[in-house]
Amino acid sequence: MRAFHLSLLSFFACFVSTFAAPPLLPIIRDNLNLTAAEIGYAGIASVTGAIVARIAMGAACDTVGPRLASASLILITAPAVFFTPTVSSPVSFVLVRFLTGCSLATFVSTQYWMSSMFSSPVVGTANGVAAGWGNLGGGATQLVMPFAVTLIRRSTGAAKFTAWRIAFYVPGLFQMMTAFAVLIFGQDLPDGNFRRLENSGDEIPQILFHGVRNYRGWILALTYGYCFGVELTMDNVIAEYFYDRFNLELQTAGMIAASFGLANLISRPVGGRLSDEVAKRFGMRGRLWTLWLVQTLGGVLCVILGRVNSLGGSIVVMILFSFFCQAACGLTFGVVPFVSRRSLGLISGMTGGGGNVGAVITQLAFFRGSKYSKETGITYMGIMIICCTLPLCLINFPQWGGNPSSSSSSSATEEDYYMAEWSSQEKERGLHQASLKFAENSRRERGRRSACNTAPANDTPSSSSPAIFAV
Amino acid sequence: MASTTARPLLLLASAVVLASFLATAAHASGLFSTLPKTLVVTASPTPGQVVKGGEDKIKVTWGLNKSLPAGTDDKYKTIKVKLCYAPVSQKDRPWRKTVDHLNKDKTCQFKIVARPYAGNDSIEWTVEKDAPTGMYFVRVYAFDAVDGELGYGETTDAKKTTNLFQVEAISGRHATLDIVSICFSVFSVVSLFGFFFNEKRKGKAESK
Repeated sequence: MRAFHLSLLSFFACFVSTFAAPPLLPIIRDNLNLTAAEIGYAGIASVTGAIVARIAMGAACDTVGPRLASASLILITAPAVFFTPTVSSPVSFVLVRFLTGCSLATFVSTQYWMSSMFSSPVVGTANGVAAGWGNLGGGATQLVMPFAVTLIRRSTGAAKFTAWRIAFYVPGLFQMMTAFAVLIFGQDLPDGNFRRLENSGDEIPQILFHGVRNYRGWILALTYGYCFGVELTMDNVIAEYFYDRFNLELQTAGMIAASFGLANLISRPVGGRLSDEVAKRFGMRGRLWTLWLVQTLGGVLCVILGRVNSLGGSIVVMILFSFFCQAACGLTFGVVPFVSRRSLGLISGMTGGGGNVGAVITQLAFFRGSKYSKETGITYMGIMIICCTLPLCLINFPQWGGNPSSSSSSSATEEDYYMAEWSSQEKERGLHQASLKFAENSRRERGRRSACNTAPANDTPSSSSPAIFAV
Repeated sequence: MASTTARPLLLLASAVVLASFLATAAHASGLFSTLPKTLVVTASPTPGQVVKGGEDKIKVTWGLNKSLPAGTDDKYKTIKVKLCYAPVSQKDRPWRKTVDHLNKDKTCQFKIVARPYAGNDSIEWTVEKDAPTGMYFVRVYAFDAVDGELGYGETTDAKKTTNLFQVEAISGRHATLDIVSICFSVFSVVSLFGFFFNEKRKGKAESK
């Protein structure tokens, strides 16, 4: 449980640091004389770094273990947070946001660590809660930073343009402390630490090949970009939106913006849980249908958010939107574990990276410069969510069916699907055993009716709920 | 039981809502384009002069335009003097946008002074520390007894291109902050290496 708390806390801290600037933008934009375009670029920069960093983090976890990998990243990106108080130009602002944003790669190490420490029946829940409560940081920071500025101004009488700078030591120190905690109190595995992960004998090029070849991974990367990517975008723009559109105080705008990210407390775990519950009755088709429905509804609410003119209405719609958006994140990782067994890590990394790509594209298209007002940008983002969620209908598993098809091909089996990733030589070497076991256990993804008809009834609950198994 | 407490609560709630509507209606302001330019305003900075935020002072003088008929300013009760952004500082910054509806206009975000109308008047004002770097002009609004705008005057022309001055903001940076940042950053990286060496040492000791 210590590993759970340590990785959760450090991931949370990275989110706090990455999104510490947005709630203070009304002050920062005047101090650095930023234009709307520069603010947009900074927002894009903050989520771009993690695209590559997440993939690299996967490799790092494999070589030095999640404890050292995550602590290293956190301590290396902490200087970016510490140097934020010294920026004096738009370029330096964009740079520190980029470097700070790389810390979001700790998503991968968190999931990796959870998967190493928790057994199959609970690993899904551990991953879902860790991811959700880590994302919470993006919401908490919108509350904490304006509050810190107010506190600093009241106690030291510092000018606005100095107070925001001092406030940045809060996320910086917090981030550093969590890294120390991870290093001092954490361990990679139940039995201790390891210097190099025992190689299962598999080869990276093969893993890459099978992962990249699977079209479902690409579709999920796209759709994750329109739930998680949208969440990142909202973390970047929502405080300024409320501040400017409704003429609120900095702290009030921060409080409202915070509620978007804070919904992660329940929404993402609920999404994962929902995926599991639906799968009991309807199997994989249920998971896919529910994901499509929840994410599309999120898109509809996003469109409405851009059109609502009243403050009260906006807050209500925003909170509803956040629930659906984040639940979709949880639901996505209810499908990801089943796409590939051999290349599970890669598919998860692609999906995670795809989330960031979605954030970059959305901010580039709708939230850069003054071309669109923020409310128009939000409406267009909603339309894009609806459109980019449609490809989920294309996902088909031969053994379980897909979105619009009503029944699976009766001759396809789970074994066929997962064994297709291994060549006969590799099977001779026995590398495919884990995948074979997984294939047997995944028969439950056929749903209640079909599962009853399959022989043999698998009574070992060894992988009872891999649903929110976000590795 | 619920309905007997609910009814007075409902009345109270609607009274509050109605009152707030009336309050905003009382401040119902018009459009800038319909506001007559009745005041003459001058400010001490020369065109293009750079004024330092938090340090330098500017002097603003205003009064009724003498060429207007007497009695134009009969209803003027209060005056608000404001520091306003010039168009060049509003470019690509929608949070400073000029909107005709006075309630929504964001051109003038700094209040220099608000005081009762006294005909010809002036003020010497130290530029606020919060004022961002940019080009500015000064505008004076005249209000009636219920805070409705009646007239205005400004130091620049209708196109807001002449007679602008520059404010140079404080940077907000301090040498102390720079030093603290460097110290924390160095500590962060050095401690990482420290931990790595420690791990290696422990690994060697265990393998012996």
